[in-house]
Amino acid sequence: MSTYTCRWCGLSCDPDNQASCPHCGAPVDVREEVSDSGWEELPPIKDMARLQCGQSSCQVEGAYVPVADFNLAQGDGVYFAHHQVLWMDPGVQISVMPMKGAWRRMFAGLPLIMVQAHGPGHIAFSRDAPGEMVAVPLQPGTALDVREHIFVVANHAVEYDWFQTNVWYTCRTGNDNNDTETTFPIGQFMDRFVARDRPGLLVLHAAGNAFVRTLAPGQRILIKPTALLYKDPSVQMRLHFEQPAFSSWRPFGRWGNSYICLELAGPGRVAVHSAYDPLELPGNIVQNSPATVSRW
Amino acid sequence: METGQRIECQWCRTQNQVGARTCVTCGAPLDVRNLVSDSGWREAPRLRDMTEFRFAQSVCQVEGEIVPVAEVSLGAQDWVYFEHHVMLWKDPQVPLSVMPLQGGARRMLAGMPFIVSVAQGQGRIAFSRDATGEVVVLPLQPGWELDVREHAFLLASHSVAYSFVRVKGLRNILFGGQGMYMDRFVANQEQGLLLLHGYGNVFERYLQPGESVVLEPGAFLYKDSSVQMDVQTQQLRTGLLGGTGINLVRMTGPGRLGIQSMYVHHKSE
Repeated sequence: MSTYTCRWCGLSCDPDNQASCPHCGAPVDVREEVSDSGWEELPPIKDMARLQCGQSSCQVEGAYVPVADFNLAQGDGVYFAHHQVLWMDPGVQISVMPMKGAWRRMFAGLPLIMVQAHGPGHIAFSRDAPGEMVAVPLQPGTALDVREHIFVVANHAVEYDWFQTNVWYTCRTGNDNNDTETTFPIGQFMDRFVARDRPGLLVLHAAGNAFVRTLAPGQRILIKPTALLYKDPSVQMRLHFEQPAFSSWRPFGRWGNSYICLELAGPGRVAVHSAYDPLELPGNIVQNSPATVSRW
Repeated sequence: METGQRIECQWCRTQNQVGARTCVTCGAPLDVRNLVSDSGWREAPRLRDMTEFRFAQSVCQVEGEIVPVAEVSLGAQDWVYFEHHVMLWKDPQVPLSVMPLQGGARRMLAGMPFIVSVAQGQGRIAFSRDATGEVVVLPLQPGWELDVREHAFLLASHSVAYSFVRVKGLRNILFGGQGMYMDRFVANQEQGLLLLHGYGNVFERYLQPGESVVLEPGAFLYKDSSVQMDVQTQQLRTGLLGGTGINLVRMTGPGRLGIQSMYVHHKSE
């Protein structure tokens, strides 16, 4: 029997019985789509593709706003932010998952509670924007950092944690020195998902299309902060400002810190999505987290 | 499915001629197998770009795939009605009028479209909504009654009677995700055509008598009038902080139930 190694998740499967990888849903018959710049396009999960996670399975349904439909086996469970449920069998039991730091999460705008569901039964999840479901199988000992509000659902083999991003800037918004506003362009906190001793499944929602690349040690790339989807914990990040050169049609000198980027430095995987939220810049920046600057 | 010298459309059950690629009544591809999930939801047929189908003396063509447009070439004796802001374009000679409706004040207070417009043939008129999704084509057989959530209605043919029903129960009104009223479409004497816009992807399931499913309120798109809906609150206890609740809608058969995967309405609401 031949085996097929999924180019997306790196796990093996039997291609004779599968149209898509049972671990991440990537089609087995699709060729690699890599841009000249090195971004690999995430192959969209085929409609009705099935993923296996422990004794449970997940079927991804739809194309524009896909649904992750879990068939939970007895004893298996998943957790999710509570507004992600699309439908469920009446017999599925849901309860609150205990979490630390509720007050800080509330002030940071993160979901205050995480809900868990236990099998047996079906429960389905979707987000309210066009895009792609991204299934990330996590092998024991691996972790993934995910920007806030990207997470859809994970099974119980995946532990959930979160950390401060330390990526921020403060702008003066009025004439008074005290009129300032602090912005966290990738959120004040990031979610961290860890598989400790057994494989787990993490499902994310990318708005628009999703692209991934692996940065070599020391390799850097600048991205729109709100386009970040996920990264390996080994990838370092900090702010970066671009200051365009003086222009004759703008006689007041240089632009302010008009271009704000997120600098990502390898080694590790980074993923972006193509539909991102606009970034607020309410005034001149007066203070910021560690950052690099390019003046042109 | 081939029955004798005919092919039966799996979506609307119309008999089509052998060799047809799309259903003449609803536009569903006849040469594509049904997509049914393990949990029993059937995807609404994904209409091919530029698919045509007929009703009365008119022809409807669905154009585009991400935010599809329903373009109707109205026959001389035909007319369609629609919410006035869903019209995309029309021929100059297509006359528009207002459909007389009862309960205008109640509709206005409930946030439903106050005016339902009518376009009379002969000529072309096109409709679309303002978000990614699918056009759901629902031919209504005589006697069928379909309840549709607010702001999902795209157009209906003249043979479909339009009314609206008040959602029963204060909890259903407050937490059911669709306000005080639902649109009700009834085909009385002859077959009619109803087009909806589902946000995201659309799935349909037939609930057996007594069978239930629990929905996010914003996911509800349409149902047979025989399907009962009831809001239930799932209490989630959080210990120190007390707790919170999730409001979900329990749908109980018998009858068809349609849902949409993008459950928050955007600019239309």
